[in-house]
Amino acid sequence: MGYGSTGKLLRVDLTRGVTSVERFDEAFYRVYPGGKALAAYLLLREIAPHVDPLGPENVLVLVNGLITGAPISTATRFTAAARSPLTGAYGESEAGGFWGPELKLAGWEGIILTGRAAHPVYLAIKNDQVEIRDARHLWGLEPEQAQAAMREEMGDRLTRVLQIGIGGENKVRFAALINDLRHFNGRSGMGAVMGSKNLKGIAVRGTGKYSDYAHDPQAVAEIGRRIAKRVKEHPQSWDLQEKGTPGLVSGLNAGGILPTRNFRQGAFERVDNIKWEVYEKELLSARRSCYACAIRCKREVKVDDRYQVSDAYGGPEYETIGGFGPNCGIDDLQAIAKANELCGRYTLDSISTSAVVAFAMECFEHGLITPEQTNGAEWRFGNAEAMLQIVDWIAHRRGIGDLLAEGSLRAAEVIGGDARYFAMHVKGQELPMHEPRGKVGVGLGYAVNEGGADHLVAYHDPMYANPASITFKAAAELGITEPLPPRELSPRKAEAYARLENWSSFGKVVGFCYFGPAPRSLIQVDEVVEAVRAASGWDFDKEELLRIGERATNLARVFNVREGFSRQDDTLPDRLFQPLESGALAGVGMSREEFETALTALYRVKGWDPETARPTRERLEALNIGWAADLMV
Amino acid sequence: MRLHLGGHLNWYDPRKRAWLEVPLAAPVLLSALLQQLHVPPGEVAIVVINGRLAQLEAVMVEDGDRVELYPAIGGG
Repeated sequence: MGYGSTGKLLRVDLTRGVTSVERFDEAFYRVYPGGKALAAYLLLREIAPHVDPLGPENVLVLVNGLITGAPISTATRFTAAARSPLTGAYGESEAGGFWGPELKLAGWEGIILTGRAAHPVYLAIKNDQVEIRDARHLWGLEPEQAQAAMREEMGDRLTRVLQIGIGGENKVRFAALINDLRHFNGRSGMGAVMGSKNLKGIAVRGTGKYSDYAHDPQAVAEIGRRIAKRVKEHPQSWDLQEKGTPGLVSGLNAGGILPTRNFRQGAFERVDNIKWEVYEKELLSARRSCYACAIRCKREVKVDDRYQVSDAYGGPEYETIGGFGPNCGIDDLQAIAKANELCGRYTLDSISTSAVVAFAMECFEHGLITPEQTNGAEWRFGNAEAMLQIVDWIAHRRGIGDLLAEGSLRAAEVIGGDARYFAMHVKGQELPMHEPRGKVGVGLGYAVNEGGADHLVAYHDPMYANPASITFKAAAELGITEPLPPRELSPRKAEAYARLENWSSFGKVVGFCYFGPAPRSLIQVDEVVEAVRAASGWDFDKEELLRIGERATNLARVFNVREGFSRQDDTLPDRLFQPLESGALAGVGMSREEFETALTALYRVKGWDPETARPTRERLEALNIGWAADLMV
Repeated sequence: MRLHLGGHLNWYDPRKRAWLEVPLAAPVLLSALLQQLHVPPGEVAIVVINGRLAQLEAVMVEDGDRVELYPAIGGG
C-alpha cells in the first residue's frame, strides 16, 4: 500500500552525462508532498546563493504533486522551478496536460537537472530506463517537428514530450516550457533555464498504474467519478467547459477591470470584436482536456482567413487574449490567435511576451523607441502587424528584440527616461491581465508573490464579496468570516488574502489546477481533504492542508531572502497608484498608504517581520521547517 | 428587453442561452425578473443597463433595454 508517491527522484548531471536515482521516504514526503513544497525544498538544498540563473550552477527541478496522475479532474499539474532568469528570485511555474501524470506512471516523482551539456541533448525516459541522447539534430526545430522526431526515436507514439523551442534556445528570459504542444509552464523563464543547459526536451513514456502508488486507489477513483459526474451540474465548471477562459473577456470589461493599453485604461472600446462569441465563430475548432479531466476547458483553434493560424499549438486563453488584445489596443481576434501560435512555436510565456509588446508600444509612442529601431514600422497601440513583428524579433533576438527579450525591467533600464514607468512588472516579472485597482487582493498577491506578479496566488476579491454567492460559501469553509468589498484594501483584506493564499499554494503543492478546488470551481473543500487522505493515507484535515500551502510559500520566501530580496521588492508598479483613464472604474487608483498598511498587516498575519519581510524563526519552526531559518543568516 | 447572462449565469437558464429576449409590458424590478428566471441574485456581481453600470437592488428595467449581467470572476 502506497502513500501517493513513487518515492523516487531522477537526478541528471548534464555536465558529466550521468543519471542516478534519489529515494525519499514517507516521513519526508509528509512534510514536502510534492509540487511547490518539494520544489522549493530542493532549490534551497541544491542551489548556492547568487548563482547565474543561466549558468550551469543553476538547477532546474520538475516535480509532480501528491495528487498528480490521480483519476480526478484537474489533478494534472507539475511544478517547474529554478532560480528565475527574469527576476533573480525564486522561479516557479505549474503546467497541466499529460506530461506530469506520464512521469508518475513511469515511476518518477520528479527530475533534478544540474550542470550543462556540452552540446544539445534530450532526455529519454521509458519507465526506469533513462538515457541522455544527442539532440543536435533537433536544436532549432519547432516543437511540432521536434516532438514528432522524439516520438519516432522513442518508438512509441504515446510518448509525452516537454520541451523548448527557439525562445528557450535563445534564452529569452521569459521563455516557457511546452508539453503536448499546448500546455505551458509559462512564468518565470523556465524555458530559458532549460535552454541554458543545452537540454531540448524530456520525452517520457510510463506504463505503470496510478493505483500502484495510492493508499486507497478505489476510494480515489470513486471520488474522481463523483466529481466528473457533477461538472455539468456546477455553474462554474460548466462555464469553463462551455467557454473556457476566453469567456472572461466581456465581464471583466463591463466591470472596468480589463487591462487596456498597458494598464492605462480599464475597458476596451472594441471589446465586442474579441469576445467569446467571436472566438467560437472565427477560431474554435475543438475542445480538449488535460489528463483525466472532465472539465475540458482547453480550446483548439484553426484559422485560414485574415491570418493563417495552425491548429498545432492550442487556442489562446484569456490571459493571452487580454495581453495581445486590449492591453496592446488590438481588436483582431485572428491576429491574437496568431500571436498565441507564435508563443507556442517559439515557447514564450504569452503573459510576459504580450506585456513586453505593450511596453514597447508605449515606448514607441513616447519616442523612446524610434522608427530606426523598428525598420520603419509604427509600433503603436492597435497595430497588429507590429505586435507579430515584435514577438518574432523577441524570439529571434533580432534588432531591439534582443533587448526586449531581457524583459521589460531590464529593457527599461537600458532605454532610460520614462520607460521605467511603462514597465509593468513586480520583481521583474510582468503583470498578468487582471487589474488590481478593481480587486486589490490580487494586487497584494502580485506584490508579495516570491516569483513576481502572478494572478494565481490570490483568490480574486469578487469571489468573497457577496455572502450569497457560491464562491463566498466555499471561501467560508476556508475560514473567510465576512464578505469584503473588492476594492477594500485593509488589514482585514490582508488577513483574508493570506488565508486563501495558503489554499492556492496548497493546490500547487499537491498538483491541483486552480480550476479544480472551490472556490474557483466544483471540488468542495471537504472533497479535497478526502482525496488527499485517500491518496496518501494520512489523517490530514483542512487546517493541515492550509499549513502545507503556507510551508511552501515560506520556503520560497527563504529562497528570496537568501538572494537579498526584502520588503521594498514587495511592491507594485507606480501606474497602479494612478487613476484608471477609462471604464467603469475611471478615476480609481490604489492608495499607497492603504497598500503599505495592508502589507504590514499581511506580514504580521504571515508571522514575518514587517520591516524586512522575512519569516521569523518561530513561524518557520511552527511550520516544521525551522532548519530554513539558518539559511537566512 | 434583451438580457445577457454572462459567464456562468447562463447555466441557470434551462436552455443555456447567453442572450434572452424578454417581452415586458411594463417596467419591472430587475431583481424580481431574475427571481422569475431562477437566476440567483447572489451570483450577479456586475449589472450593466444600456452600457452603464447599475446596482441590482431597486433598479427597474423596461422594454427596449439592453441588460448585461456577469458573475464574480477570478483567475484565468
